[in-house]
Amino acid sequence: MTSTTIATTGHAQPPAHTGEHATNTGISNMKLAFWAFLGSECLFFGAFISTYLLYRGRDTLGPKPKQLFDVPFTSCTSFILLMSSLTMVLALAAIQRGDHRRFRIWLGSTALFGLTFIGGQVYEFTNFYREGLNLHVNLFGSTFFILTGLHGAHVTIGIFWLLSLYSRSLQGKLTTEHAEAVEVAGLYWHFVDIVWIFIFTAIYLVPYH
Amino acid sequence: MTEQITDVDPSSAALVPVGDEIVPAGGGALVSASAAPARAAHAHPEPRQYVLIAVVLVVITGMEVATSYLEGDVNSNLLIAALGMMAAVKFFLVVAWFMHLRTDSKVLRRFFLLGLIAAPILYTIVLLMFHVFNSNV
Repeated sequence: MTSTTIATTGHAQPPAHTGEHATNTGISNMKLAFWAFLGSECLFFGAFISTYLLYRGRDTLGPKPKQLFDVPFTSCTSFILLMSSLTMVLALAAIQRGDHRRFRIWLGSTALFGLTFIGGQVYEFTNFYREGLNLHVNLFGSTFFILTGLHGAHVTIGIFWLLSLYSRSLQGKLTTEHAEAVEVAGLYWHFVDIVWIFIFTAIYLVPYH
Repeated sequence: MTEQITDVDPSSAALVPVGDEIVPAGGGALVSASAAPARAAHAHPEPRQYVLIAVVLVVITGMEVATSYLEGDVNSNLLIAALGMMAAVKFFLVVAWFMHLRTDSKVLRRFFLLGLIAAPILYTIVLLMFHVFNSNV
């Protein structure tokens, strides 16, 4: 049986932990829009992952993945990106409880881990280029660089986003009231991490025949 | 089951049951108790739980890398299935715990699931069109 009580105050209440305006769903517009964006990003990266799988192992010319990949090295950079997800969520937990010093430590660590990941990717790209792999040499080259390059671009945008939050926090403009801004940045950061989980498996770990 | 309506838009004159939810007839908005957790500060896990999840993620990543070295010793289809499963577990852990989808509003879960379900269906169809799963082509 359903018991229904209606409070006819006439005003939707804002989310408890933010200074956002009220919404009828009780969810902030920014968060809702961002989840919709992440849903569309699944389709975006899905297109490039499936293109990579489509052309996987169909090359006759140019360097082959097995000749180029250094799985232990990429495993280390993947581990670093995975750990950045932990530091990001710890940063969010810190700002939600009003611990700004720890928030900055965790947020700075996340940005640093992200930079290390990008540094590893640049090193890898440079090595592959020296070995003769580029966007035009074969299908592997074009699909690999496009997929991992787009992911790297997403990580780079994330780093700038994190650094801007760090800077706002230093200026005292990012208070506990703005925890949702950190939560949304965190959602983006975790998303680039989960995309990498699949890219790492599809490109580096699944055996090439 | 008891559902408590916590708030209602004054523009809605009457309520109409739609499925398991009650919706204002005039198209006005109404928030049910099921949506209330989104507006309340939802209970996020403790930092210690986050660290525990991260440890599990690291262990799975180690297992993934170790599994990839079994190439040649184990049937490749089995290897691909195992790697796919481990990646899916990692994905689930990050989304459910770090992105708080486990405790956040159902609406957010639905938004994300829409893209998540649509993407594999769409791209599996595309890959089937190109005979990717047919080893004779």
